[in-house]
Amino acid sequence: MSRMLLCVPALLPIIGGVAILFAGQRNAVAERKLEFWVEGLTVLNSLILGWLIFGAGEGDSLVLFHLFGNLKVMFRLDGMGRVFAGLIGFLWPLAVLYSFEYMKEEERKSTFFAYYLMTYGVTAGIAMAGNLITMYLFYELLTLVTFPLVLYPMTREARQASRKYLYYSIGGAAFAFIGLVFVLSFSATGTTEFMPGGVLDLQAAEAGKNTLYLVFLLAFFGFGVKAALFPCHGWLPRATVAPTPVTALLHAVAVVKSGAFAVLRLTYYSFGTEFLRGSWAQWVMMGAAMVSIVYGSTMAVREAHWKRRLAYSTISNLSYILLGASMMSPLGLVAALSHMVFHGFMKIGSFFCAGAVMHQTGKQYIYELDGLGKRMPVTFGCLTIASLSLIGIPMFAGFISKWNIARAGFTCGMEAAGLGMGAAVSGMTAAAGPGIWRFLPFGAVAVLLYSALMTAVYMLTVLVRAYFPKLIREINENGNGKEEKMKKAETAACDPNWMMLVPLLIFSVIIIGFGVHSQPLMAFLTEIGGAAG
Amino acid sequence: MEGNVMLLLPVLFPIFMGILVLTGKGFRTNRRSLTGVVLASLAAGAVLTVLALLSGDGSLTLWQLTADTAVVFRADGISVLFAGLTAAMWLLVGIYSFSYMTHEKQESQFFGWYLVVLGVLIGLDFSANLITFYVFYELMTLTSLPLVLHERTKEAVMAGLKYLFYSVAGAFLALFGIFFLTTVSSGLTFTPGGVLNQSLLAGREGVFLTAIFCMLVGFGTKAGMFPLHGWLPTAHPVAPAPASAVLSGVITKSGVLAIIRVIYYIVGPDVIRGTWVQTGWMALSLATVFMGSMLAYKEPVLKKRLAYSTVSQVSYILFGLSLLEPTGFVGALAHVVFHSLIKNALFLAAGAVIFTTGWTRVEQMRGLGRIMPKMLVCYTAVSLGLVGIPPLSGFISKWYLAQGALSSGTGVWSWMGPVVLLLSALLTAGYLLPLTIQGFFPGADFDEHEIAARRLIGKEPSLVMLVPVALMAAATLLFGCFPGPLLRMLEGIAGAVI
Repeated sequence: MSRMLLCVPALLPIIGGVAILFAGQRNAVAERKLEFWVEGLTVLNSLILGWLIFGAGEGDSLVLFHLFGNLKVMFRLDGMGRVFAGLIGFLWPLAVLYSFEYMKEEERKSTFFAYYLMTYGVTAGIAMAGNLITMYLFYELLTLVTFPLVLYPMTREARQASRKYLYYSIGGAAFAFIGLVFVLSFSATGTTEFMPGGVLDLQAAEAGKNTLYLVFLLAFFGFGVKAALFPCHGWLPRATVAPTPVTALLHAVAVVKSGAFAVLRLTYYSFGTEFLRGSWAQWVMMGAAMVSIVYGSTMAVREAHWKRRLAYSTISNLSYILLGASMMSPLGLVAALSHMVFHGFMKIGSFFCAGAVMHQTGKQYIYELDGLGKRMPVTFGCLTIASLSLIGIPMFAGFISKWNIARAGFTCGMEAAGLGMGAAVSGMTAAAGPGIWRFLPFGAVAVLLYSALMTAVYMLTVLVRAYFPKLIREINENGNGKEEKMKKAETAACDPNWMMLVPLLIFSVIIIGFGVHSQPLMAFLTEIGGAAG
Repeated sequence: MEGNVMLLLPVLFPIFMGILVLTGKGFRTNRRSLTGVVLASLAAGAVLTVLALLSGDGSLTLWQLTADTAVVFRADGISVLFAGLTAAMWLLVGIYSFSYMTHEKQESQFFGWYLVVLGVLIGLDFSANLITFYVFYELMTLTSLPLVLHERTKEAVMAGLKYLFYSVAGAFLALFGIFFLTTVSSGLTFTPGGVLNQSLLAGREGVFLTAIFCMLVGFGTKAGMFPLHGWLPTAHPVAPAPASAVLSGVITKSGVLAIIRVIYYIVGPDVIRGTWVQTGWMALSLATVFMGSMLAYKEPVLKKRLAYSTVSQVSYILFGLSLLEPTGFVGALAHVVFHSLIKNALFLAAGAVIFTTGWTRVEQMRGLGRIMPKMLVCYTAVSLGLVGIPPLSGFISKWYLAQGALSSGTGVWSWMGPVVLLLSALLTAGYLLPLTIQGFFPGADFDEHEIAARRLIGKEPSLVMLVPVALMAAATLLFGCFPGPLLRMLEGIAGAVI
């Protein structure tokens, strides 16, 4: 029974979404009814997912059908899948709740929610995919079901953005496909099933080592498109034209994290760290992530449009995950996974705050936010927490993951610089080429801190504007001498209603909760890392 | 949560009261209840701090942050020094503010944040490991920002952002070192003499020293050390005078505290003695001493001049620490106390001038002795202390600093240090005393009618403003005449760590 349930979280929302799409096509679905079905299906799906994560499904796998030969579409929920599935399963119902309020005034709501629901299924499919081919399948599907969501505003800008999104994603998937083919042909088991430590036949792989490294990098950059890796990031800032629930959940969590998740699967479960560690491919991967971090956080500082600024922040933060992954060690995987989870909460929280402001006041640019902190105390309170966490202030979740990435970086650097374990070094320096590469992990930590500083700049300027508006001094000269009056930039605005606030408050509590007490989660992640690294 | 709960009270109580003042609607309009509550909180904060310090050497573990790091409080010798100083200064400057802040807007905002920062600083002083310390260090930056921003002019906001970004940059530079230290030390609990694990460190000296240097420069940001000093002369003067006073007099000392904790309680002075890190540190601090004095000498705006003076004086302390030698260490800690007293008094005096006359530039202040003679006497007394004239306290600390430098065995630096200190003392006299001279002896061509027309003659600030400054001046004199008990306590601390 529980084995059959494995396919439910992926298929139920897809079927539900298609049904809503058809029902909406024929006649306009009543608003209440739509909300009931969408929220009901989402919650039900999350409950099933939660049951699978916590209770059942341990080690079970379900083969849905054979494509041909030994290409199977199969689901399995292992440790890493659980982390991702848990993240999206938790966020989706809250995001849907938020969307009801946000989308209240919009038209074509049933279309929007139909695709929103389908995306849930597809993302769950990625999380639960048991082998590379299944993941690839859902990965392509993800592009197709999220494309209408970017297109949703139907403006000229949205059309261009969605087209760009489509080209980038399809192009990236094509590169990833090359990786898939090579993994299949070099696999020790003849399948692409995910195995901790990789599936490559090391002896065969050793012969075509450099080709495989190249293929790995192609696949890395391919999947990296969704993770907004520089230089394949172009679609993400453009895609912020979509409604905020889409930007928040899909372009800060589901879609981009699918990319990062795919990279983790590729690195740790398909190619295997033993094969990649110390190779030039590792250094290129690490370097790409570093460039991306610097680029993303610097561009975020320069950007005045709030949602686009957050999108650039996503670019840099997703590369934190990839940077953690590029350490090719258990610690690196733990760091990557923890940042995947924490960044999910921080960034969706930030986007929801931006959305709440847009919804309440229509303001989109940061210089318009003067004095809103007092008007929307709850929204900006939550934004403060999310910002501090993103910067990496201790006591907030973001610090924990950055701490882990930096630790992984130092450990990796020690080993690579020939200061640690002797055994790993000999093979490493031979492959590493020029000696300067060996100090790359230290550079990575420095980049991390540079980016933290930039994060402080781009997040805190928003808060300073909101809380400490510049007062305009008015000096009136009258008979009694000077009379000074302070004028505030006033705007009538208030916090949104509970449907938007509840998700925000929950995220804030979680950010602080994980910030002060992260052991249970870290213990779980360490177990995963220990097996796969 | 286990251990001595007394340690938690002086941290949480002011923060709680501060939040109450910030959010309570009544405090915005009712000045009497505002001052009453703030005064009571400050006094209670000071009493709680003293009680916590007297409650013994217990520690308090709040909770585990990650598997191997916990939030822990403990009060050791250094904590006694810094927490006692902070609570006392906060109380005195707080009293002064009741009068001063009447000519500023949004008093409840100021006092609210003022209380919050007190709690955070006490937390910083009580931190028992580097992680806890870092938590409060970041919190200190964020909660003291509203004090800088208080006036909300474009200038204040830009200065606030500059303060924020320098501080955060410094903190992250330091964080690089903290990340590294976790990999080579056995825990990050502050222990006299350091906690490094030599076997883990073997073969990694290059990276290690770089990391330590990053921490010095990073934490040095808060202490206004070159090259990350740029924020200080911008941020301190734009705040209201009481805020400038505590920013300059107390909060810069957090950077000093951070460096003491890292070098003497985590790394251990023996590890970096004689390395390029020590040399670099001495060079940077001496450069800052000279540069700060020089810039102060050339600065016409009084509060800015005092801010540059802080840049220079705090680096005296850092130079004393960089000698890695007991006498210099004692001199540095003594200078922490004395400079804090003196700089608070100086900024409060500058605030009194602004409050009464609105003058900000030194050349405007001719004939100030006709307006506020008592305040100017206090100003002169502490100025002489800062120059280092016996029997005022500044002489004691500088004596120890010079002694320490001469006996430190650091080659050229052991005589270069005292020379730079002397040079800077001359400059200090040059930038502080003109105010006294022109104030009391404005010269024959001084036209008194102008200030008489504004009815300023004999317009001494109220006692609420004068008494705190007078107390600080008296303390400066007292510590100069009877430094024994303080020095013995400091020598006790120095004996444990070096």
